[in-house]
Amino acid sequence: MRTVKPLLRSMFIPGMLFLGACCCQEDVVVAPEVLPPPVELGDIFFDYDKSELRAEATQQLQKNFDWMKQNATGTLVVEGHCDERGTNEYNMALGERRANAAKDYMVNIGADPARMQAVSFGEERPFALGHDEASWAQNRRAHFVGQGAAAPAPAPAAEAK
Amino acid sequence: MITCGMNSRTSKGVIAAVLLLWSLFLSPFFLHAEEQGEYIAIRKQGGGKIALVLDRAAAKGGKESEWAQEFDKTVKEGLGFSNLFSILPPPSNVRAGSDGKAGGVNFGALSSVGAEVYAGGAVSKKGGKVNIDMEVYDTFGTKLLLKKSYSGKEEHLRSLGHAFCADLIELLTGKKSFFGSKIVFISSKTGSKEVYRCDFDGHGVEQVTNFRSISLTPVLSPDGRYLAYTSYTSGRPTLYIRNLQDNKISSVAKNGVSVDPSWRNATELATTLSFEGDQEIYLVRPDGGIVRRLTNSKGIDVSPTFSADGRQMAFVSARNGLPQIFIQDMQSGLTRRLTYSGRYNTQPSWSPAGDKIAYSTWEKTGEINIFVINADGSGLKRLTSGVRENESPSWSPDGSMIVFTSNRQGGKKLYVMSSNGENQRRLLQVDGDQMQPSWSLFR
Repeated sequence: MRTVKPLLRSMFIPGMLFLGACCCQEDVVVAPEVLPPPVELGDIFFDYDKSELRAEATQQLQKNFDWMKQNATGTLVVEGHCDERGTNEYNMALGERRANAAKDYMVNIGADPARMQAVSFGEERPFALGHDEASWAQNRRAHFVGQGAAAPAPAPAAEAK
Repeated sequence: MITCGMNSRTSKGVIAAVLLLWSLFLSPFFLHAEEQGEYIAIRKQGGGKIALVLDRAAAKGGKESEWAQEFDKTVKEGLGFSNLFSILPPPSNVRAGSDGKAGGVNFGALSSVGAEVYAGGAVSKKGGKVNIDMEVYDTFGTKLLLKKSYSGKEEHLRSLGHAFCADLIELLTGKKSFFGSKIVFISSKTGSKEVYRCDFDGHGVEQVTNFRSISLTPVLSPDGRYLAYTSYTSGRPTLYIRNLQDNKISSVAKNGVSVDPSWRNATELATTLSFEGDQEIYLVRPDGGIVRRLTNSKGIDVSPTFSADGRQMAFVSARNGLPQIFIQDMQSGLTRRLTYSGRYNTQPSWSPAGDKIAYSTWEKTGEINIFVINADGSGLKRLTSGVRENESPSWSPDGSMIVFTSNRQGGKKLYVMSSNGENQRRLLQVDGDQMQPSWSLFR
């Protein structure tokens, strides 16, 4: 019993804060839309200092296109990345060329360019943190992030076809 | 949503405070100067260091002595940073004239220790302000070269010291120096890359942005009015130009990247944009409007830098495959390749004091080293070697020094060296990585 009293006392402030927060809830306007979590669609990889697509990349790009067809109003961000070697400014430009190469291929096979955005991250966001070819090879990549369309808030289960 | 609004408001407040402090720093304090004496460049071309006796300014004790000590320290550090002087301790009888009369300068004693130049003076308090009367003598000719008073508030003592350093160097070399200039750079100290700034000698480090995003390649306009940088705050790399006087921010509203800006003059800067498909260099106004496209080649064109007169631009182009440095005439548009040695040459920086261009080469050994070359392609010289990756060279406003990034001791840190590669040393001690330094042109 002796331990319960201080415990209750210590919970008084957090408790009041919690109740306060509950009351605040009424004033908050609920966001009208709920976006589904972004989907990571898989990467394609590039040779050193190159932005030309490798033969095996086309498979992943086809998969990306299929995802865009299934998510008719979804958008796709194409990130271009480089390994840490070379200099940052040049790699910013190289990363964009990689992103654009992937995007252009998808546009050629029928993807809607208006629903795609190419963004270069240069060498700013490496995937693998090692300083060897194994890491560098994984970092010379285009990364695809799909964002499905927002579903109406009251019935998130309802699917937009 | 609410927290988000609060955050941006707080960060705006912080930025405003930082900029307010900055503008206070830049505003000219009351520097009253009386000049008398001759302006003589006594330094021979290509001569060694100037042997200088720097005598602590005389003071009557108390506050004045403290000021004298701080002034002496600032001047010593400032002149030491310039690497132009060998500073000798004053002989004990320096202030006793040969006739035994106190107060005069004992040129005999100065000559015997090998001093070429003597600087000394007196500190006094005038109207609550610091007043420092300085005199500079040519010890061989026993001639007064400079007599000048420096006065200002106590908190500006450091600036008074640097004003004297600037006068002394200009007097002895005939050239303007870098005292009062600033260096802007990127640091990952907080965990995200933000813009910082410091004095030319690494003092007074301040955080300029607080975006918690990725900020890159900051550069101040030659008049110090604008700060241009690339930032990911919008989700993609966008060029922003901030007016440091009214804090207004413009951006280049185009799709694609906009990276690595460089000022041509106070009203024009160049940057790489890709809204037309390929990465090309464009001339841009501080309001974000595009003046004209400068390059037109298949492949990457990036990292412009201008000659002091703004008539020529050096830049990196991969038009022949691997990145090399080219020079374009701004009027005719004629372009020629500058670098033929090395397979990966990037990050050119044109000296504000002549036709020299510093750049970095990624060498076969895996090292990245800084080289300097004349604008006509002659005089290639390696400035760093054997110490891992040395990048992002940027010249001091007088062209006497270069600031750069090196990971020779582990993480990326800022270093400075003389324009011939001598005297390489750390510029500042800050946590995290420091990179992409850019030395301002204004004083």
